[in-house]
Amino acid sequence: MSDEEHHFEHRADAGASLTYPQQAGTIRKNGYIVIKNRPCKVVEVSTSKTGKHGHAKCHFVGIDIFNGKKLEDIVPSSHNCDVPHVNRTDYQLIDISEDGFVSLLTENGNTKDDLRLPTDDNLLSQIKDGFAEGKDLVVSVMSSMGEEQICALKDIGPKS
Amino acid sequence: MQRSPNDLSQLQATMRAIEVACSSIQMMVNRAEAEATILSLCQSPQPYQACQYILENSQMPNARFQAATAIRDAAIRDYCLCYVMQRASSPEGYVQAKVSAAAAQLMKRGWLEFSAAEKETFLSEVKQATLGIHGADVQFIGIKLMESLVSEFSLSTSTAMGLPAEFHDQCQKSMELEYLKTFYCWARDAASSVTNKILDSDSPVPETKVCTAALRLMLQILNWDFRYSKNGLESAKGKKNVFSAQVGNDNNLSRRSECTIVQPGPVWHDVLISSGHIGWLLSFYGALRQKFSCEGFWLDCPLAVSARKLIVQFCSLKGNIFHSDIGQMQENHLLQLLSGIMQWINPPDEVSKAIESGKSESEMLDGCRALLSIATVTTPVVFDQLLKSISPFGTLTLLSALMCEVLKVLMVRNAEEETWSWVARDLLLDTWTALLVSIESGGETGLLPAVGRNAASNVFSLIVESELKAASASAFSDDMASDYFQASASAMDERLSSYALIGRASIDITIPLLTNLFNERVARLHQGRGITDPTVTLEELYSMLLIIGHVLADEGEGETPLVPKAIQTQHVASGESEKHPVVVLSSSILNFAKQSLDSEMRASIFSPRLMEAITWFLARWSSTYLMPSEETGESNSGSCYDNNHMVQSSVSSKAFLIFGEHNQGKSVLDLVVHIATTTLVSYPGEKDLQALTCYHLLHALVRRRNVCVHLVGLDSWRRLANAFANERLLFTLYSAHQRSLAQTLVVSASGIKNPEASNQYVRDLMCHMTNYLMELSSKNDLKIVAHQPDVILLVSCLLERLRGAARATEPRMQKAIYEMGSTVMNSILIFLEVYKHEFAVVYLLLKFVVDWVDGQIIYLEAQETAGVVNFCMRLLQLYSSHNIGKISLSISSSLLSEAKTEKYKDLRALLQLLANLCSKDLVDFSSDSPETPGTNISQVVYFGLCIVIPLISLDLLKYPKLCHDFFSLLSHLLEVYPEMVAQLNDEAFSHVLGTLDFGLHHQDMEVVDMCLRALKALASYHYKETTVGKVGLGTRAAGSKDQNGQMSEGIFGRFLRTLLHLVLFEDYSTDLVSAAADALLPLILCEQSLYQRLGNELIERQVNPAFKSRLANALQCLTSSNQLSFTLDRMNYQRFRKNLINFLVEVRGFLRTIKILVLFPVLFVCKSVLQTSRIQDPGRILFEKIYPKQVK
Repeated sequence: MSDEEHHFEHRADAGASLTYPQQAGTIRKNGYIVIKNRPCKVVEVSTSKTGKHGHAKCHFVGIDIFNGKKLEDIVPSSHNCDVPHVNRTDYQLIDISEDGFVSLLTENGNTKDDLRLPTDDNLLSQIKDGFAEGKDLVVSVMSSMGEEQICALKDIGPKS
Repeated sequence: MQRSPNDLSQLQATMRAIEVACSSIQMMVNRAEAEATILSLCQSPQPYQACQYILENSQMPNARFQAATAIRDAAIRDYCLCYVMQRASSPEGYVQAKVSAAAAQLMKRGWLEFSAAEKETFLSEVKQATLGIHGADVQFIGIKLMESLVSEFSLSTSTAMGLPAEFHDQCQKSMELEYLKTFYCWARDAASSVTNKILDSDSPVPETKVCTAALRLMLQILNWDFRYSKNGLESAKGKKNVFSAQVGNDNNLSRRSECTIVQPGPVWHDVLISSGHIGWLLSFYGALRQKFSCEGFWLDCPLAVSARKLIVQFCSLKGNIFHSDIGQMQENHLLQLLSGIMQWINPPDEVSKAIESGKSESEMLDGCRALLSIATVTTPVVFDQLLKSISPFGTLTLLSALMCEVLKVLMVRNAEEETWSWVARDLLLDTWTALLVSIESGGETGLLPAVGRNAASNVFSLIVESELKAASASAFSDDMASDYFQASASAMDERLSSYALIGRASIDITIPLLTNLFNERVARLHQGRGITDPTVTLEELYSMLLIIGHVLADEGEGETPLVPKAIQTQHVASGESEKHPVVVLSSSILNFAKQSLDSEMRASIFSPRLMEAITWFLARWSSTYLMPSEETGESNSGSCYDNNHMVQSSVSSKAFLIFGEHNQGKSVLDLVVHIATTTLVSYPGEKDLQALTCYHLLHALVRRRNVCVHLVGLDSWRRLANAFANERLLFTLYSAHQRSLAQTLVVSASGIKNPEASNQYVRDLMCHMTNYLMELSSKNDLKIVAHQPDVILLVSCLLERLRGAARATEPRMQKAIYEMGSTVMNSILIFLEVYKHEFAVVYLLLKFVVDWVDGQIIYLEAQETAGVVNFCMRLLQLYSSHNIGKISLSISSSLLSEAKTEKYKDLRALLQLLANLCSKDLVDFSSDSPETPGTNISQVVYFGLCIVIPLISLDLLKYPKLCHDFFSLLSHLLEVYPEMVAQLNDEAFSHVLGTLDFGLHHQDMEVVDMCLRALKALASYHYKETTVGKVGLGTRAAGSKDQNGQMSEGIFGRFLRTLLHLVLFEDYSTDLVSAAADALLPLILCEQSLYQRLGNELIERQVNPAFKSRLANALQCLTSSNQLSFTLDRMNYQRFRKNLINFLVEVRGFLRTIKILVLFPVLFVCKSVLQTSRIQDPGRILFEKIYPKQVK
C-alpha cells in the first residue's frame, strides 16, 4: 500500500509552468482550458462519438478569460488538453493615474504600478466611481499565460 | 337628423343625469344612486338616441365613456340576430361566424334574466331555421348559431365577460340540463332531412354544408364536459371551481392519444342508443363511401371527415347511459359500430396496399382510433369477442393483422419523416397497451385468450424484425440525438414498454425467439471478426439488448422490482430450471458479456456503445433476477392468485432461483463486478459509459443488503476498492463519477456483519485521502502550489470522494465517517481561504460540508455537536467575508452570468447547511439526556441566517430552487422558534418581514404555503403569549411611530389586510385555503377591531343589496358558525377551515368581479389587462395602485 503513496505527491518545482496537461474527459464546466493558445473558462461541455460505435470526444465551449471571446474545441476524451495556470491576487487600490494605470499596494508593502485599467467604459466606470466615492477598494488581479487583468472588486468599507 | 324640441329637452335631461352620476361616483357621494342611474341607461330598450346625444354633446369624458358602453351592449342585443338571419346567403363565412359568436355572447349575458318565454321565442326562431323551412342557407346559419351557443356556454371555451364565475357555472348547468339534448336532436334532424338530397345528387349541393355543420355540432355536443347529467348525486360538483378560472378535466382514464371518454349519463339513452341513430349514421357514411368516386366527394371532404369523427366519438361512449345489464347493451352498441368500421380497415393487406398506391390514409387512421377507443372502454376478452359474432376471427386477430401490415410498410419504407404508418403504429401500440395494461396491473382475471396470445406473438416477432431492420439501417447514420444513450433510451422507452407488454403476453414463443436472434448475431460477430465491419451487427445487438431488457424486467424506480407478473404466472412447458426460456436467454447474454473481459475481444467487438447497452441491461436485469430475496418471492406468489396460478408461478419463480444466493448467484455477481471494473478502467474517457456503470449498475448492486453481504466477500470487489483507495488510475474518471463510486463502496460496507469491521473498512478506504488533504493544507508553500491545475484537479477529486462517502452515512458506518470529516475540518477552512477565487473548489468544499453535516448531525453527542456547529459558523463567516460587497468585473456577459449562477449555487448550499443544522432539534439519536446543556441550535441558526441574508438579493430569489430553500428555511425557523423573532435587531426583523410579504405574493404555491405557515406560527405565538399576560412580540406587534410621528400599523394588522385581500380577490389554488385559514384565524384574534372594520368596509362597498346581505351573513357565519371559539386548538383550527371554505364558496363568485364593475372606468382597463395578459403582474400592479384609494 505504501508503494502507491507517492502517487498523491505533486511536483514541488512545477510553479514555473504556464499550462498543465489534463485528460479531456475530466475537464468540467466552470474549469479552465487552453483553446487556440488562449486561456478560457469552460462554459459548456458535451460529449459525442466518432461514429455510432466509435470513441467518445468532448466538445468544449470556452470564453477567453481576458477578452471575453467565445472559442470552441473538439478533443477525443481520452486525450490530454492543456489547462492554464490561473492565479488571482488581491491588492488594495491606492490610486488611479491620469494615463490609465492603477497603483496597487502589495502584501509586503510595495506598490505595483504596471497594471493598466480596462479599456471597456462600463468596467472602467465601475472602478473609477467606487474609487471616487472614497470607498476602500480591494481589486483582484487575475493572471494567466503572461497576461493580467483586474477581475473583481470588493468594497471593504469607507475610507477612514 | 331633425329632433323635436320635446325630445331634445328629454335628451338633455338624460345627459345631465348621467353626468351628475359620473361625477358623484368620482367624488364618492351617493354612489349607489349614481350607479343605478348609469345602469338604467344601459338597460333601457332603445338607448341609441340618448347615447348618441351624450357622446356628441357631453363635455365630460366619464359620461361619454358610459354612453359608449351602453350603446355597445344595445347594439349587440338588437342587431346581431337580425343581421345573421337576414344575410344568411352572404359568402363571407368569417363575418357570419363573428356575428353569431357575438349573438351567442349576448344571449348568454342575459340568459339568467330572460324569462322562459323570451328564450322560447328566440330558440323557436333558431329551430325554424334549422328545420330548413327558409332554405339551406338559413338552416346552415341556424346550426352555426347553436354551435356558437354551445361553445359559449361550455366553461372551457366561453369568453370572459367580466361576470362572476358563478354566472358561468349556472349558464353551463342550464345549457346541459335543459337545452343540450334538444340542440342535439335538432342537429340530428337537420342532418337527416338533407341526407337524401345529398345522396341523390351526383355533385355537391348546398345541403352538404348543412349536413357537415350538423355533424360537427353533434360531435361538439358529445365533447361537452358532462357534469350534471352524468349522475344525479354529483351535481354538487358545480360548486367546486370557485377559486380558479380554469376548469380541471378530471378524466384520468384518457390515454396519451386523443381518446377522451364520453359519459353523458342515462338521460341521453333514448337519443343516442335506442333511437337507431347510430345505424342511420353508419349507413349514411356507408352510402357516402359509394360516392367517393363521384366528383366533389372524396375521403377527406369535410362531410366525410365529420361523419367519421362522430363515429369514432361514439366508440368511447361509457358509463350509465347503458343500462346495467352486464354490459350486453354496450357490447351491442360497440358491435354495431365495429361492423361499420370494418370496411375501413379490413382486410388489412388490401387497405394498406391501397394507401401505398395513393389512397388517402385518413379513413384507416380513424379506424385505428376507433379500435383504440373501444379497447379503452372494454376488457380484452370482450374486445376479442365483439367481432366473433359477425366474422370467423376475433378482434384481436384483426388488430394483430392490422399491426403486422403497418409494420411491414414501415420496414419497406424505413423513411425518416413521419408517414402514415408511424401514426398508425403508435395508435395501434396504444390500443395494445390499453388492452394489456389492465392485465399487467392485475385488475382483470388472468391472461389474454389463447387466440390473443398467438396474435400478440405474431405482432411481437414482426416488431423485433422491424426494429432490427431500423437498427441496421441507422448503423452508419451519425445524428447527434441518437448516439447519446440516455436520450435515445428514454425517447424509446415508451415505445419499448409497449413492446414489452406485447412480448410478455406469450413468453413461451417470444423469449426463445429473442434468444435465437441474439445468438445468431453473436455468432455472426465471431465469424466476421477481423474480416468484416461489425458495425451493423453491433447496432442490432444494441437494439436487441434494449428490447430484451424491457421484456424481461421492469424499471425499479428506486424500489426493488419483482419479476413481471406476466412472466411469473405463465405456464411454460419445460421441466428443469435451466431450460426455462428466461433463464436460457439470460445466460446467453451473460456469456456474451463475459467475453468483454478479454482485451482482444474488447478491442474488436465491444464498442463503447455496445458496452453501454450491456451495462444498462445488467443493471436492469440484476435488480430483478440476481439474488432475489427468497421470502418476498414466495409471499408474493401466494397471496394474490388462486391455486392454479400459484402452482405455475412457483414453478417459474423456482426457475429464477438459479440466480439466487445459493446457486449461480455468486459467480454471476462476480462477473458483473468484473465487467463494471473493466468499463471504468479499460474505457478511458468514455464518460457516458462510466456514468451508466456508476449510477445504474453499481448503485443497483448495493441497493439490497443481501447482495452487499456477498459483494464485500468477493475478491473482485476488494480489488476495486483497493484501486480506488490507493491507485492513481481511477483519478482519471470524471470527478462526479468518483463521488458516486465512493458512495457505492462505502454503502457496500453495510454488508459486513460486525459494525467495528464496517467502520474499519471505511477508514481503510478513506484514510489516504484525508491524510493527503491535511498534509497539503499544512504546507508552507500552499499558496503557490494550490493554484497549479494538477493540484486543483486532485483536490477537487478528493473532495468529491469525501462527499460521496459522506452521503453514504448509515448508523453502522457513522463513526468512521464522522472521523473522516472532523479530521479535515481545519483543512477545509484553510482551503476556503486559499481557493476563495476558485468557484469550482469553493462549491465542492461547501457541498461536502453540507452532505457531511446532513448525514452526521443527528448522531452527534453534545461535545461533537458544539465542535461541528462552531466549524459551520466559522465557515459561514469566512465565506461571507470573502463575498460580501464583491463585484465581478468582466467584459463578457456570459462570464458575468456564470458568476451569478455560481453565487446562487453557493448560497443554496449555505441555506441547506443551515437547514441541516436545524434538524438536530427535531431528530436526535445521541446518547445525551435532554437535560445536558448543549448547543442552542435555534440561536446558531438565526445567527447563521443573519450572515446569509445580506448575501441574498431579490435578483437571486428569481432562481426557483434558491427561493424555495430560502422560504422553507425561513418558515421552519419562524414555526419552530417564533420567540427568536422578538430578539432580532431592527434591520434583520424588517428584512424577515419584507421577505414574508414578498413570499405571500409569489407565484409558486409552495412558497405561499410556507409563508402562510410562518404567519400562523408568529400570530398564534403572539396571541397565546398575550392571553396569558406576557408581551409576545411586544412592540413589534403593536406598531410604532416613525421619525415623522406617523403611526405605522403593527405587523399583524398589515398581514391581516394582505391576507384578506389575497383570499378574497386573488387567484390561487384551492389547496392553499386550509393554510390560509390557519394563518387567518390567529391574525383575526390578534387584531379583532381591525378585522371588524375591514369587514364593514367590505360590506359597505357592495352596491347590490342582495350581495350586500349575502356578504354580511357570510362574514357573520365565518366567525360564529360551527361553535368557533377564541382558543387556538386543533379543533378550532379545523372548524375555522370549514368556515372559511364555506365562506369563500359563498362570496368569491360575486366578490371578485363585482368590485371591478362598480368602480371607476379605469378599472375596466385593469380588468382587460388582467384578462388579456398572460402575465398576471401588470394587472395586479395596476390594481394595487388603485385599490388602497378605494379603501380610504
